[in-house]
Amino acid sequence: MKRLQDVKTNEAVDLYYPTMCKVIGAKQITEMEKWYELQMPAGQDLGHEPGQFVEVSAFGIGEAPISISSSPSKKGSFELCIRQVGMLTNVLKKYKQGDMMGIRGPFGHGYPIDKLLGKDILIIAGGIGLVPLRSLINYVLDNRQDFGRLIILYGAKSPAELLFKEEIAVWESREDVEVYVTVDQPDDSWTGHTGVITTLIPGLKLNLDTTMAAITGPPIMYKFVIMSLKSKQFHDDHIYVSLERRMKCGVGKCGHCQINGIYCCQDGPVFNYTDIKALEEAL
Amino acid sequence: MECFSLLRADVPALIDHLGKFGEVVAPHGKGDVSYSFEVVQNSKDVVLDYNRTLLPLKKQFLPPIEKLMDFSLKDLSFKPIELEIKPKVFFAIHSYEMQSILRLDHSMLSGHVESNYLTRRKNSRFVGISFTPDDFHFSESVGIGIQEMEGFDLFLSELDDDFQLFVLTENGRSLIQSFKSMKTAEVEVEVKHEFKKKIRYHYNRLPKIFQYAYHSDVWANVAERCVGCGACTLTCPTCFCFDVSDEVGVTAEDGLRQRSWDSCMLSTFAEVAGGENFREKTINRTRHRLFRKFKYITDEEGLPWCVGCGRCTAFCPAGISLPDIVNELIQEDEKAQYHKTIRV
Repeated sequence: MKRLQDVKTNEAVDLYYPTMCKVIGAKQITEMEKWYELQMPAGQDLGHEPGQFVEVSAFGIGEAPISISSSPSKKGSFELCIRQVGMLTNVLKKYKQGDMMGIRGPFGHGYPIDKLLGKDILIIAGGIGLVPLRSLINYVLDNRQDFGRLIILYGAKSPAELLFKEEIAVWESREDVEVYVTVDQPDDSWTGHTGVITTLIPGLKLNLDTTMAAITGPPIMYKFVIMSLKSKQFHDDHIYVSLERRMKCGVGKCGHCQINGIYCCQDGPVFNYTDIKALEEAL
Repeated sequence: MECFSLLRADVPALIDHLGKFGEVVAPHGKGDVSYSFEVVQNSKDVVLDYNRTLLPLKKQFLPPIEKLMDFSLKDLSFKPIELEIKPKVFFAIHSYEMQSILRLDHSMLSGHVESNYLTRRKNSRFVGISFTPDDFHFSESVGIGIQEMEGFDLFLSELDDDFQLFVLTENGRSLIQSFKSMKTAEVEVEVKHEFKKKIRYHYNRLPKIFQYAYHSDVWANVAERCVGCGACTLTCPTCFCFDVSDEVGVTAEDGLRQRSWDSCMLSTFAEVAGGENFREKTINRTRHRLFRKFKYITDEEGLPWCVGCGRCTAFCPAGISLPDIVNELIQEDEKAQYHKTIRV
């Protein structure tokens, strides 16, 4: 147990003060989602791992945990992509180039790059799950020689909800990336694959010993994707998931993000599947 | 251990003397049946025989609402709060209350160290007092006796209607320096009070009970009676969950960010944007509360995170009793063991 006498006065930190970052780029990319590029006050790097999150702050409304969408290999700025679903995010919708956004973090644990090095990377993104996974995808692309195959499965409800379309087109054009995009509800212009994301899994040819999967999507998606992977005898400890919770503090105190006994904001949001599969509140 | 005898009539003089160190906070009567920790104005108003205060001592270290910053909406700047933290002596504190502060220390000081909490803690002194357990106290069941003195600087132990004053730390010694109204005495600890409320097993055996309690039928019974008001967590001395929120002034030019006590027993506590709720049902929440007290932190630190003050039970509008829940889990486990034996 940590005791008062073990703590020195200078160990205390002011945990709740945001850093004001300048919006240097902003674009509404779908009806619901807006992309932002942000710069730290002195142009320094945020210093994050792929998969980590920040607390975004708008004075007068509050804070919300938001995934970092850019790779740490991108220097001088970082990117967020925010779905407008609540009070705060609807205020953030109005933020444009030149505005200041409050940021705390980065917080938590991202993808363990050391465990992914040299491995085939299977990305499975549902909806805005692509936002945090994009930080990993671009990290792999920026360090392409350090990884094996890069396979990206991305599913959205409809073609209009697909994020980062231009970037996906670039990924598709590369010979060293395998990209499979699917939508549940196609429109007339859609020529691609139709169906939920799990329909993309059976056809995959994977080397089970060298493939690591990173899954992010709506809560309902995890069960079915993991079931499909397991029907291919995919190893549990080769699966990483990123979980959404309502982190209020980001520093393991406020209790909102607790999944049974663990704090998602500290131990996650990225977890190895073996660490959470026994936790009933996780998926 | 240094020990003095102190007459009950001289306690107000001791309180006045402690005032030299800083503000003295002590139990006061509130209405006919309730007590609360208040700053002492007149040392004769301090109540020495009280069962429990409504709100625990955590309030003094983690205020129910604490301002984190002022901000301006005109230029989007913010100003951190400059805390003025005065030295305080907490007087006539029960052993379980002190143990709750030691547990809060762990929660607030491990990992990220909370600055306001740390400053308040470093500037406080504690004077304990023995108490007579009522129908709700069960601290002995979680390993905290009436005379448990860990964490205190001084301790008043009732003896023949007067007190023995134990000096436990250097800080304690300097608190009573030059205080004359007491005499050196032989250590004599009177143990006459029995706890009426008990958890049937020694707390060492509870981790085993909670290991298999997740799918117990007991939770549904509790959830059926629980009204989800959150009184149990607000009055719990080791609960510390909070919310962070902004308030804007009437002119809409400035505002403040604050944190306030929150409760995992409230229905929206684990809800995320878009409406997904990870502890949607009352049964999930009642179980979470008990697991927070007897499993999650306990597995790591080896101590129950419940200190047996009895507040959650005494103040529950639906009459839900925490020790009874634990006893029901024990009973259920015993039944399961019994059936297992028969089957073999």
